[in-house]
Amino acid sequence: MLSQRHLALILIAPGLILVAALFLYPLGFSLISAFTKDGSFTLEWFAKAFELYSTDIVFTVVIVVTSCALTALAAIVIAGTLTLGENRYIVGTLKALYRWPLFIPFIVAAQCMRTFLAKNGLMNNSFVSLGLMEPLQAVSYLDWRGIIATFVWKQTPFVALLLAGALASIDRATLEAGRNLGASRPRVLFELALPQVMPTLLVALVLSFVTMLSVLSVPMMVSGSQPTMLTVDMAFRINAYGDYATANALGVITYVISAGAAILYLKRGMSQEASR
Amino acid sequence: MPTDLNSAPRGGASIAVRDLHVAYGSTRVLHGVSIDFTPGSFTALLGSSGCGKTTLLRSLSGFVPVESGSIIVGGQDVAPLPPEKRGMAMVFQSYALWPHMSVLQNIGYGLKLRGVPKVQIAAKVAVLLSMLGLSGYEERKVTALSGGQRQRVALGRALAIDPGILLLDEPLSNLDAKIRMVMRHEIRAIQQRLGLTAVHVTHDREEAMTMADRLVIMQAGRIAQIGTPEQVYDRPATAFVANFMGAENILPLRVARSEAGASLSTGDATATVAAEPAQAYPGGVYRYRVEAAGRQITVDDADRHELGTTIGLRIPLQRLHIFPASEAGIAA
Repeated sequence: MLSQRHLALILIAPGLILVAALFLYPLGFSLISAFTKDGSFTLEWFAKAFELYSTDIVFTVVIVVTSCALTALAAIVIAGTLTLGENRYIVGTLKALYRWPLFIPFIVAAQCMRTFLAKNGLMNNSFVSLGLMEPLQAVSYLDWRGIIATFVWKQTPFVALLLAGALASIDRATLEAGRNLGASRPRVLFELALPQVMPTLLVALVLSFVTMLSVLSVPMMVSGSQPTMLTVDMAFRINAYGDYATANALGVITYVISAGAAILYLKRGMSQEASR
Repeated sequence: MPTDLNSAPRGGASIAVRDLHVAYGSTRVLHGVSIDFTPGSFTALLGSSGCGKTTLLRSLSGFVPVESGSIIVGGQDVAPLPPEKRGMAMVFQSYALWPHMSVLQNIGYGLKLRGVPKVQIAAKVAVLLSMLGLSGYEERKVTALSGGQRQRVALGRALAIDPGILLLDEPLSNLDAKIRMVMRHEIRAIQQRLGLTAVHVTHDREEAMTMADRLVIMQAGRIAQIGTPEQVYDRPATAFVANFMGAENILPLRVARSEAGASLSTGDATATVAAEPAQAYPGGVYRYRVEAAGRQITVDDADRHELGTTIGLRIPLQRLHIFPASEAGIAA
């Protein structure tokens, strides 16, 4: 007769095996590969990664942090308008439109940005035909700015979706009390509503941070030149040199960066619990 | 920063509501309500669910857009103004305190908005807290307070800005019975002391009668009766008001007018204390369900009667209200 415990283990076994085979095994393998050479421990691959790609590490962190900040700002504006907006047409239109980028893959978004932000792209052409800019002044935005624009465009709906949901679930009377005492709507949003949904905003931003770190298509397509993001470097190490060890070292560095974001989030959550 | 809030006089302001129409989408909720609130008065808006009492309060505070009509406060029509420009302070049923702020920050927020220096805010909050019996609670988290304490903080937050008008949206409904009794008197005492014009929404008749100097009974988006608690209770204007004020038994009567006066008669019937469950003891008196002429009548009596016995009924004249049969919903 099987005990409850064994039965439970058997029930979750398929999922567990899947996670082990597709996630834990490759993770362990890449960790080992990053730290060993011919079976013995070495930091050679990390030395190489830092020597060749330290600029790209900084570049990646700056891009992702900036994108997260801008995403947060845009999402707050959208979710705030959805929650506190009084013009039915603006709220209705925004509600219908803001989720669309969620359904568009990164690679398609990147392609759209290429045609939009290029030197002779849609944006510059529009400015020129509106008479806002001389054709000679047109510059290409297909560099770090293009990557940030794509990330923000793609991740804002996700963060706004979670944020709007959280804002909708707080007691509306707490917002009305603020307006009743004389607070304008922006003050109500930033001083009364947002502090109540901070945990949700942080979760959404940490998830966005990790997603942006792992995207290959956008930096590859939008900005082909140096410096670039770590995902592109990893692909290059593998495709051009078959150099799995350095690629894995770069992967470990990416893990550390995203773990940093997660730790920041957890620390804040714990200090909030403690102050309760 | 709206300066008109700072110059609001200590003491109540008057409100004149004229022909107020309010609708949610295509559903009309208020059908031309006109009412005056004199400075320093305590008015209770009373009615069953969906009668429009909360909508009237929320249109006063600016959270419900007004379709037509005016709300005149101190000579100015505030109906087109957003809530933050109206200078009325509201206390909410759910307390609506900000969980991320301390008691001091909650009560002081309205003053912070008005640019009052921190030292003055702290001094004012200390005065309010001592008035509310919460001295020394400044640094407490509002999430650590009991329901009664929270509602006191909410009241303090509303009073901190020296409003001329205090709007109370069922502020006692979430409190337990004993705290509710205490808070009734506290709110009333503070309102009297500061001379505020208070508008109180409730569905609790007893609460309205003990707190307010004037009752406004609302029915289906219209005002059914305005008067002092005594007037409304002793002389209800309509069968609806009588029923709402607790007259629960409806009996068909025949009224014959003569020169000497009028005589009332009802048919012969035998009154029997109904078989169970017909008896209850709400306290002080027994409450019976009595059957007479095919009707169920609720009767309070100090004596204990056996179920199923035949009894005599007498209606005290001052408790009798007579309305046309059509109004009372009786096929006479």
